Amino acid sequence: MIQNFILMNGYGIFVWAAFAITFITCFILYYKTLKTLKKHEKDFADELNKLSSDQRTIVLEKSKIATKVLASYNKSI
Amino acid sequence: MFDVLNPSKIFTWIEKLIKFINSIFFILLLVALTFALIVSPPDYLQGDSVRIMYIHVPSSWIGLASFTCIALISVLIFIFKMKNLILIAKSIAPIGLVFTCLSIITGSIWGKPTWGTWWAWDARIVSMVVLGIFYILFILSNKFIEPESKATKISCIIAIFGFINIPIIKYSVEWWNTLHQPASIKIDGTSSIHSSMLMPLVFMLLVFLLYCALIFLMKYKTEIIRIKKKNLKRI
Repeated sequence: MIQNFILMNGYGIFVWAAFAITFITCFILYYKTLKTLKKHEKDFADELNKLSSDQRTIVLEKSKIATKVLASYNKSI
Repeated sequence: MFDVLNPSKIFTWIEKLIKFINSIFFILLLVALTFALIVSPPDYLQGDSVRIMYIHVPSSWIGLASFTCIALISVLIFIFKMKNLILIAKSIAPIGLVFTCLSIITGSIWGKPTWGTWWAWDARIVSMVVLGIFYILFILSNKFIEPESKATKISCIIAIFGFINIPIIKYSVEWWNTLHQPASIKIDGTSSIHSSMLMPLVFMLLVFLLYCALIFLMKYKTEIIRIKKKNLKRI
């Protein structure tokens, strides 16, 4: 039964190749997207840390996004 | 009116949505794969090779739908000149390109046992390749043209011009004699696909759409952070 499932009456090579290529490609895109997102979060946090403490406080008070990105970055490290 | 499109407001929803998609994605994927590879019957003519349809067809639909979205957004960008729309279009483009390529590759793999060839200079296949080229042009113009305003203009023109190709892809199987079969699923008519094959197809489409939403949200979040970083000192 398992052999039939794998061989798929001779079409297994085509079916499995198509599914494998699709899922590997999707995984690579996901991994690359996640890596880029984390890199930008880190760059943003670094840039924020370069500011003086007064400036940083103002930025974090004024921008919800800055607060969230910093929180997300701090969580990931 | 467009306050809902404000990045700050959207940003607060992005993480919640990403978490939600992550929590249901693998369960749905497992169900969809079970239906596609085990439960659904082989085709009376094509045998088990028909299972490639469950990834080939949703990939093609997503490739076409993504470009249609980009073209519509490009028109809106010309009218409203909203920066946020550019971020949305830029985030959709790589997803569309990947699924267009997957459609061509899985179609080629399906073509070998069905038509006896990996490739044919067929109207449907060639027009899908043209769509892939438009995606590449759109992405490259946004990446390499400076200043950003010029890049946006050029990429929008590419998207609107490329939209001409969408009906060509759709009707290529009716306008020309092609190896590719006509559509089995019709919105405005009776579909010729059996429900035992339609259900796995719908499940796989749902899984692919969730995946696209996940990638889109992550890319969109990245774009917002990139813009915010640029404007950090102005805050």
